[in-house]
Amino acid sequence: MIVLQNVTKVYPNGTRALDDVSLQIDEREFVFLVGPSGAGKTTLIRLINRDTSPDSGNVFVENTDVTRISRREVPKLRRRVGVIYQDYKLLPGLSVRQNVEFVLKSTGEFNGRTSRWVDEALALVQLSDRADHHPHELSGGEQQRTAIARAIVRRCPILVADEPTGNLDHATSWDTIQLLVRINALGATVLMATHNREIVDTMRRRVIEIANGKVVRDELGGGYDG
Amino acid sequence: MTAKLNVLRYVLGAAMLGLWRNRTMTLGAVVTTAVMLVTLAAFLAINDTLNEMVTALGRKSNLIAYVRDDARPSRVTEIMQDLEQRPGVGEVVFVTKEDALRIFQERFFDQRDVIDILQANPLPASVELRMDDPAVLPALADELRGMTAVFESVAVPLDVVERLVSISNVSRAAGTAMIVALTAVALFVIANTIRIAVYARRQEIEIMKLVGATDWFVRGPFIIEGAFIGLVGATLAAVALVVMYLQVAPTITRIISFLPIATDVSFVRNLAVFIVLVGLVVGSVGSYVSVRRYLAV
Ligand SMILES: Nc1ncnc2c1ncn2[C@@H]1O[C@H](COP(=O)(O)OP(=O)(O)OP(=O)(O)O)[C@@H](O)[C@H]1O
Ligand SMILES: [Mg+2]
Repeated sequence: MIVLQNVTKVYPNGTRALDDVSLQIDEREFVFLVGPSGAGKTTLIRLINRDTSPDSGNVFVENTDVTRISRREVPKLRRRVGVIYQDYKLLPGLSVRQNVEFVLKSTGEFNGRTSRWVDEALALVQLSDRADHHPHELSGGEQQRTAIARAIVRRCPILVADEPTGNLDHATSWDTIQLLVRINALGATVLMATHNREIVDTMRRRVIEIANGKVVRDELGGGYDG
Repeated sequence: MTAKLNVLRYVLGAAMLGLWRNRTMTLGAVVTTAVMLVTLAAFLAINDTLNEMVTALGRKSNLIAYVRDDARPSRVTEIMQDLEQRPGVGEVVFVTKEDALRIFQERFFDQRDVIDILQANPLPASVELRMDDPAVLPALADELRGMTAVFESVAVPLDVVERLVSISNVSRAAGTAMIVALTAVALFVIANTIRIAVYARRQEIEIMKLVGATDWFVRGPFIIEGAFIGLVGATLAAVALVVMYLQVAPTITRIISFLPIATDVSFVRNLAVFIVLVGLVVGSVGSYVSVRRYLAV
């Protein structure tokens, strides 16, 4: 489903963000990606939807080597991978609903049928009553949930979440985890980068830990620390 | 199919919205394009007029040698046969006194009989040359002037043609330079307008690309914006052009009747269509260049 083979990523400024990383995530798995700040989690996520390319190694998504696909094929990949960004990337000029619709409009897929998907996504993150608010009128957690709704609206088979609970309180964090678990149960592969020790320790799912750009642990049913 | 229609609707809608958001810039770009194209049209019209004048004058004789009334006809025939053999000489025509009078009469007095007034025909016969190569004219004219027994005088109306040709060359060079400069300005203004539009929407663009929009879906609205600016500018220019032709050209023709200004409908129509096409191309190319540079898609 998602396979990294000896992936090394060095940013133009010389930072070695990933160093010979190999891992495999199977279909319908739920995986936590942990590691200290600057370990390379976001970089790894960006490789999956070809937001960036590795200097060496291969990245397979659904059996396609995304490091080798042409520009024209990138949109196809990105429509299969929903991403919740660490910094949300919401459009300030659009309401919550419009931000979610924007995903479908960007691919010409917005219509009567898919507008129901928007309602459902908003209901799932419990933002139906905030649908017409703009991001600056929302709390941090509400903005985060808008970002989640946007990532799930297209019902991608792969969902990648970069610290989706970073700005949420205890209760909302758990709501979010329950949501991701539900989406996983519905058939999606979920990869979630997180610093949330309590959640990782309680959930006891597969944990991949990276430090200094290397995989230092890959454990089924693991906790936040080894 | 509906997805395609959706895309089209989105692209057009986004383009119109973008134009409206940047309406001051849009207006500036439209006006610049229109000015550029009106100048282009004016230049083309002037050039066309000059070309017609050159052709019209070129069709007339390049050299006229007026024959003395007392010249021997056989001598004149001899000279004409000799002239026909000369390199660069096209056609040699003999205009009799009667012909000359008739032409004169037709041109200036309509049906009235000049002989009745003048008692005798005062016009000389003439040998008229049409040249293939005007370069040999000066020498030829001098030679004929030397035959004082045969020719009264020798006229070379070519001077006018030469002057016209050089005027039209200068006007063509100046016009071309001006068109190149103005096209560059219009391209620059449109490209810049689109760059600002791209900048204003950079966040939107980033997210569109991240969620799987195709390159053309991102580019489309901007290219349509540029094409639209070019098209509106060109339409304004075409309307100005037609109005100018309808209002101004007849007046000029009335005042300076010998100017063969191209006033016929098909010329103006072709010019208007050409202008609109140029506007469309300049607008599309300008925005495409800009989108390539600033959008990286
Ligand atoms: N665009 C970039 N250009 C240069 N260096 C970068 C870039 N993005 C990240 N880095 C560097 O790469 C390393 C890994 O960054 P990354 O964002 O992947 O870490 P992370 O594990 O997501 O950290 P965090 O938990 O703080 O989000 C860091 O040292 C960072 O400074
Ligand atoms: Mg990160």
